[in-house]
Amino acid sequence: MNELQVALAHANRLALLVLLVGLFVRGRAQLCWSFPAYALAILVGNSLATLWPDRFYTPSFWVLKQGTYDILKMAVALELAWRAFAAFPGALRTARLALLALLAVSTLALAALTPSSTYADLWTWEPGTATAAIWLLTATALLVVWYQLPVHAWPRAIMLGFPPYLLVFVLALDLLGRHGWPALHAWAGILDSAAYLVLLFFWNRVVWRCDPAEAAAAAVDKAA
Amino acid sequence: MTLELLLSALGCGLLCYTLGRYNRAVILQRWEFVLSAPEKQAIDALRQRMAVDSTLTRKALEAAARAREASRPPDALTVLRVALSVLEEAGADRLTRLRAMSVYSRMVRAISPLPPPSAAPFKDPSLRATASAAGLVHRVLVGTSERFRLWLLVLGLGVRIVLRGGRLAADAAGREPQQQRHWQEFSREVDDFEALDACHLNAFAALVASLAAVDRGGRLRLWERIVGDAG
Repeated sequence: MNELQVALAHANRLALLVLLVGLFVRGRAQLCWSFPAYALAILVGNSLATLWPDRFYTPSFWVLKQGTYDILKMAVALELAWRAFAAFPGALRTARLALLALLAVSTLALAALTPSSTYADLWTWEPGTATAAIWLLTATALLVVWYQLPVHAWPRAIMLGFPPYLLVFVLALDLLGRHGWPALHAWAGILDSAAYLVLLFFWNRVVWRCDPAEAAAAAVDKAA
Repeated sequence: MTLELLLSALGCGLLCYTLGRYNRAVILQRWEFVLSAPEKQAIDALRQRMAVDSTLTRKALEAAARAREASRPPDALTVLRVALSVLEEAGADRLTRLRAMSVYSRMVRAISPLPPPSAAPFKDPSLRATASAAGLVHRVLVGTSERFRLWLLVLGLGVRIVLRGGRLAADAAGREPQQQRHWQEFSREVDDFEALDACHLNAFAALVASLAAVDRGGRLRLWERIVGDAG
């Protein structure tokens, strides 16, 4: 791990801490409970890899933490969908079918198209998993807009923030796949960390921003 | 470029485009309208507006006819242009409402069924052909929501066809004021616009009735949920 990677990892850790505090201070955590779990997992994974690199900055730990992140990312996407459609039975029925079909197609595509991997190159599954997560979020967003469902600014920010970062992540893995791990892994890591830092800045901005409607409601409560 | 990269870029672009344009304040306003369903007043207000538009166009057309009979073609053409502008303004209003109804129709689970579109009330050949084709498509569609949106599509096309016909007839009357045919064509377009308005009112009433069909308690709970989530 070079100096730039370490600096980016520290900046990411700091931004994650601020985000986690903001989620609870601003009461955003309750809008998607799996998101704080995801952020906490990232924080722990990042801390272990940067504070004890000899033990945790290894391919096997990378596969383990990436698997955990993937599961939590899917949980975030599904919870966002469930929360958006829960109050609207008509839209929920369509969403359930669409998301189930998407999950089934993604699983089949991952199983059929990804070359069989050994533990050492399990990361070849990552682009497919990230693509599936992007399309889960895209399907939810399309249905939310089609049915004109009201969604809070924070869930919207989660949906809006994830795909551009995941696209950079897939791009970084694509570069690694083309040019080989030894040649590019440091630069791919820097690209990934920098993109994630931008994403954390965006999420922090939304989490800490004062919502005018919320402020008005608080003022009314105070006056009453 | 790998397949994953291509699919990711496509999904990412689609999501950023749709969610980037998402406006929560406008959506909350729409839901407030859906859940408060001002039913009868809304239908009465629309019926009155349609009556005023129709009366204004008819009066202008009659004044144009009188001016023509009195051998004052320039005056007749001026008044005909007034009739066309009333029709154009009313057409813009109808198209705006049809777009809004299309959005609301997605927000309502059950739409009251409407009869299949028919060519019978219309005179313009293009409009009759459109209505007949829509009548056939109506039989193929199963869901009431889809059938309702087909109606909205036919009404939108109808308004455009009538306005185009009205403009062509007015231009032709300007070139040949003595030709009775052009004036009759304009009058025919006004008749079709009134027939379209009757269908427009039926569709609006069906939508409002569907909104009102949601029980009051359910509506209140849904609104609390929406505002609670938004808060």
